[in-house]
Amino acid sequence: MLLPTVLYFLIFEYKPMYGAIIAFKNFNPYLGITDSPWVGFKNFEKFFESYYFLRLLRNTFLMSFYSLIFIFPASLAFALLLNELRLKKLKSFLQTVSYLPHFISLIVICGMIIDFTKPGGIINSLLLGIGLISEPIQFLILPEWFRTIYVGSGMWQSLGWNSIIYLAALSGINPSLYEAAVVDGAGRWKQLMNITLPGILPTVLILLILNVGTLLNVGWDKIILLYNPGTYVTADVISTFVYRRGVMEANYSFSAAVGLFNSVINFTLLVLANRISRKTTESSLW
Amino acid sequence: MNVAKRKLVLLLPVLLSLVTLVSACGGSNTNAGKTAEPTAEVQKATEAPAKEGKTVGGLQLPIVSDKLDLSLWSPSGGNFRGTNFNEKLSFQQMEENTNIHIDFQHSTEASAEAFSLLMSSGKLPDIIYNDLWGTDSGKYGTQGALLPLEDLIEKNAPNFKKILDDNPDIRGQITSPEGHIFYLPNLVLDSQDLTQMFPQVRKDWIEKLGLSMPETTEDWYNMLKAFREQDANGNGKKDEIPLVTVNLENIMMLFAPAFGVDYGFFVDNGQVKYGPNDPRFKDVVTYLHRLYDEQLLDPNYLVDTTFQTLTEKVTTDVAGAWFGWSGSYMGNFTTLMEGKHPTFKIAPATPPKGPNGDQRHVSFRWQAAAHGLAVSSRTEHPEEVMKWLDYQYSEEGILLNNFGVEGKSYDLVNGEPIYKKEVTHPSNGLTNTQELLNHTIGGGSWATVADTRYAEQIREANGQTENPLELYSDYIDFDSKLPPVQFTTEENDVVVPLMADIQTYVAETINAMIMGRQKIEDYDKVTAQLEKMGINDVLKEYQVAYERFKGK
Repeated sequence: MLLPTVLYFLIFEYKPMYGAIIAFKNFNPYLGITDSPWVGFKNFEKFFESYYFLRLLRNTFLMSFYSLIFIFPASLAFALLLNELRLKKLKSFLQTVSYLPHFISLIVICGMIIDFTKPGGIINSLLLGIGLISEPIQFLILPEWFRTIYVGSGMWQSLGWNSIIYLAALSGINPSLYEAAVVDGAGRWKQLMNITLPGILPTVLILLILNVGTLLNVGWDKIILLYNPGTYVTADVISTFVYRRGVMEANYSFSAAVGLFNSVINFTLLVLANRISRKTTESSLW
Repeated sequence: MNVAKRKLVLLLPVLLSLVTLVSACGGSNTNAGKTAEPTAEVQKATEAPAKEGKTVGGLQLPIVSDKLDLSLWSPSGGNFRGTNFNEKLSFQQMEENTNIHIDFQHSTEASAEAFSLLMSSGKLPDIIYNDLWGTDSGKYGTQGALLPLEDLIEKNAPNFKKILDDNPDIRGQITSPEGHIFYLPNLVLDSQDLTQMFPQVRKDWIEKLGLSMPETTEDWYNMLKAFREQDANGNGKKDEIPLVTVNLENIMMLFAPAFGVDYGFFVDNGQVKYGPNDPRFKDVVTYLHRLYDEQLLDPNYLVDTTFQTLTEKVTTDVAGAWFGWSGSYMGNFTTLMEGKHPTFKIAPATPPKGPNGDQRHVSFRWQAAAHGLAVSSRTEHPEEVMKWLDYQYSEEGILLNNFGVEGKSYDLVNGEPIYKKEVTHPSNGLTNTQELLNHTIGGGSWATVADTRYAEQIREANGQTENPLELYSDYIDFDSKLPPVQFTTEENDVVVPLMADIQTYVAETINAMIMGRQKIEDYDKVTAQLEKMGINDVLKEYQVAYERFKGK
């Protein structure tokens, strides 16, 4: 029974890793991976020496970090609130509505974001209507707004979907615990703090560790669809840079090097987060 | 030869044309291919001119006696109407004439990604279309992906060879630094047709407001301001967007030359220079900032980057001027607005004259375009491929590629090809450019010679009385536009990574200055920064490549 799984990982996960060695080569598709000449760390050096290296690193980190600290707790809070709802119909309605955006294709999502943030779009009309601003804001050409739009729309997209796993964990809590708490005279808040939260804490921590492990992976496709030279300052991240350099200019060795660098950092963060979690709480990935 | 064999020989042309018909109609031709495969004996017999052969410009037709399949990769999105080029009548006729069937492998979008993925896959078709061969062919050629074509041209391409011999400049434009020809380009032999995009303004607005066509940058400013402030479209609202564009480059092509510079690389008295690194560029930015600040330049130009949004602005009667193509902009807009607007009229404007008297039209192409067809090193039929490519440059091939099939899309009137009325004035809801793409891919988009009469007739059909292409010939300065120089691998290793960062920096800074987010006063900081980022190393390589090009 184990064999298919092992084969799957060997063929689809481990064999492609061989290709990563082109990061240390001057890859020429017509010579092939093995025959392309070695160049050592030249591709990495080129990346580190790049004028934009620090900015890319900073933007990548900030964009993911904001996503992590805003979307992660929001999904948890949303799940807890849904769980407290006693009206079954309202609950399932809210749930359906909230994870609908998850099923819309990214291209459409970005088209909607562009429409919403236009000077005559819904967001500007709303802000003008309640008197918060007096002139429409050109959200998409102002670098100071890019992260807000990115994270905000990300929350809209994934909040409902992310909450599903918590709802699943919540349903796994033994109802007798709540009954006992009610007998002891605990209110809704006390129940939440003493039963619900501790009950799903392992799930929360595992998800947090996994999220930290992908801290430098930002969704490049959404950024590519939304950014422009006006917002490069805050929007350009490692993966969009790799896209421009690697795919557009067919500079595969260079982009492989950058991708490898990205993965190594992610891996280090994952190990660190796991270790911290294991030291401070009982839960960890391994 | 016995009777049975003779009968077979007689039957073969019939069989072949049947096969052509079948494969032209249906997509898959696996069966057709089988029926066409004759026995060895018959093959020998057909080497004698069984099918009535002829020559076009020294090229023997049909190219092969047995149907041969060649594969060709090309994007088919956007302008390339139709899912498969074999749906175009010109390619069907071509197959009949050459006896070569082309398996078109299309990527749905004309994107650089699709192309570079193809090139790195290692699985190449016989022939590859690309619109960046000018710079890419040398690179892929040295990698070994493309076949050097000099010898093949010498031996198998009489038509193309004749063009090269008659126009030595073209040979220079497509030869790599190592001395190889890696692709066959789209060619323009008539200098009139070199102009590509040009400034276009709403003539009816100008007349309505009592202005005259703008001649200087100040005239442009005043005209745009009048558009904005005097309710040019007459709807009582201040909704005019005087100057629209889909990118900064187009705006730069319009105004930068008036200040003596270009947005990218250009030649100044034999010296290659980079526009943003030139002190004069500050004036361009200042001018554009003034337009942006007074809302004369579309404030949304960084977000509305598709042709669709621009078309919307033009057809809803709010756009006043833009910089665009003759057919796809001016022609399209004119046909779209036909009957929907009483006075709608677009006119081409001369390139604006700057404060120091600079006046230059920069949007023209070289005789050899960067787009064309290259032959992959994986092909098993280099000679046949070359002959088929040569056919595109024969008189017959040029007519097919530009006008389609005689009697279907055009008629010969006194020896001149004239489009049928159904093509120039289609009644099926298509624009004539679109309708034409049902018949051919269009002479301007293929590795062939672009026929002047093609553009001329479409323009006249669109009711454009002026010939914009003639209008600009006086302003074209071949010496100041950087020719299509090619780099060696070593030069490329210097230029590409440095320019990647420089272009990001320039795009960011110039846009920020136009929008007033950065001070234009410290433009010298920009040039200092560019020098820090290595622009001088890049310019050195450009100078070497330019001098090598001139020496050819």
